[in-house]
Amino acid sequence: MERQEIINGLVEILRTVRTVNQEKLNSVTEETDFISDLKTPSTEMINIVAKIEQKFDLEFDDDDIDDLGSKIKDTVNLIIKTQEKG
Amino acid sequence: MQLKGRKVAIVGMGGIFPNCTDLADFNQKLFSNQSLIREWDQALAHGKKVRSSVSGYITEEEAGLEVVWSTIFQNYPDTYIDKLSRIPDGNLATADIGSIWAMLNTLDAIKMANWTTAETESEQTAVVISSGSAGNIILRNAWHTFFELGAKSRQGGAHTVDRTMIFREAANVSCLIKNKGVSESIGSACATGLGNIGHAYRLIKYGFQDRAIAGGVEGTALETFIGFDAMQVLSRGFSPQESSRPFDKNRNGFVCSFGGGIVALEEYEMAKSRGAKILAVIDTYFNNSDGDGDMFYPSFAGQQRLWKGLLQETGHRPDVVKVHGTSTPTGDSIELLSVVDTLGESGYHISAPKSQFGHMLGAAGAVELISSIMMLENQMVLPCLNSVNLNPELENFQTEPSWNGPMKPLEAYRELIPQQAFAKEINHITCLNYGFGGTNSAMSISNDY
Repeated sequence: MERQEIINGLVEILRTVRTVNQEKLNSVTEETDFISDLKTPSTEMINIVAKIEQKFDLEFDDDDIDDLGSKIKDTVNLIIKTQEKG
Repeated sequence: MQLKGRKVAIVGMGGIFPNCTDLADFNQKLFSNQSLIREWDQALAHGKKVRSSVSGYITEEEAGLEVVWSTIFQNYPDTYIDKLSRIPDGNLATADIGSIWAMLNTLDAIKMANWTTAETESEQTAVVISSGSAGNIILRNAWHTFFELGAKSRQGGAHTVDRTMIFREAANVSCLIKNKGVSESIGSACATGLGNIGHAYRLIKYGFQDRAIAGGVEGTALETFIGFDAMQVLSRGFSPQESSRPFDKNRNGFVCSFGGGIVALEEYEMAKSRGAKILAVIDTYFNNSDGDGDMFYPSFAGQQRLWKGLLQETGHRPDVVKVHGTSTPTGDSIELLSVVDTLGESGYHISAPKSQFGHMLGAAGAVELISSIMMLENQMVLPCLNSVNLNPELENFQTEPSWNGPMKPLEAYRELIPQQAFAKEINHITCLNYGFGGTNSAMSISNDY
């Protein structure tokens, strides 16, 4: 799966999360930060992670979630890493 | 020991009520003798698994809300949308339905109180709100997801705690209005609504706070209904409008209802000096326990002590007694006889608002206090709807050797129990609520004096 395809999927998920700044979703890049740019409440991150698992049909390791950075690229990297693990 | 404290005024109120659009609609319907109770589709959907099928319920749509359903699991409300844009999305994300109602009612109460932002956000402003049950709709799905579907804990949602904890209503309201004073929840079963207002009253009376947002809510949830249905204590066999019938000989249980009531309290002199409209003055609040070790059965002695404690402080003889009056066989008769034992057989009237909207459990005391404030404002007594026939025979407990209360049947007190609303000069009202565990609460309110 291409990185941009993954980002598009993430944006689709974020459009369903009402506490995320929706205007900022028109210009999401790899460097966009969930916390500082999208103003995502920290408690909402785990809901987003659960939605990512559902959409991309995968299950993250708990350790990977604990270590997850706050930029979009960090999530893209984790999705690719988890997909490769199979 | 009683300390003489400061005087406390009620300066604002807000609520959400079954089958009503707003406070004015509630007022109009109550004083025109209407019932707010309907057949409940959610109960009917379970057929013979559920005994009772009537309720004073409120749908999301009626509250101006829309559910955002989870994309992961069926029937789990991820969050709610406020279609009237009264509450920010961030606050909605941490709230169950009852907490949303508490926030909406709070905004209305503050608007009526006309508090400034600085007053609302002050260190001297408290929030004291609770409910009688848990955040059932959230819990239902979160635990089903984990235990039955075998999902990971995070898939049940990250807001199970804040949307279901005791204190969730006060927590959500405090996060919304940003008060810096006391924020807490007091639980006392079906006396919760009045108990929270009573506690807030004491915070102001004894100088800990100057203002308080206080009350109770009970969010619509089938679990709450089913719990009582299982106890065989819900009304059945009557049309919806006739199913809540306090004091009537044929009453056979209460109507499980839902709603919310929030009042804004303020130290009296401060309210007067800023020109606030005083809706009512709280004369006093008194509460106690039966002390007889019985979880459910009402205690005549406990209620006698409740009255003694209340009247010791006020000295006011009420023009109206707003009873708990649930429409349960024993509860109503013990309550009526304890009122008569205290106040005599004439000179006041009894009002049972549950006859019109059912038993709102943790919200009951708060919504019924609002109904009582409306009685003061309208100078009208709300009725005991459906109290058509009163028992001409003595109650069984009245024939026991240990009984030391009035020795007349309930029918002897017909004149005290109106079946329709009527006009009367009302200066003082006593509000009574009781709860499982033998907890008893009483508040006396008056016109501004």
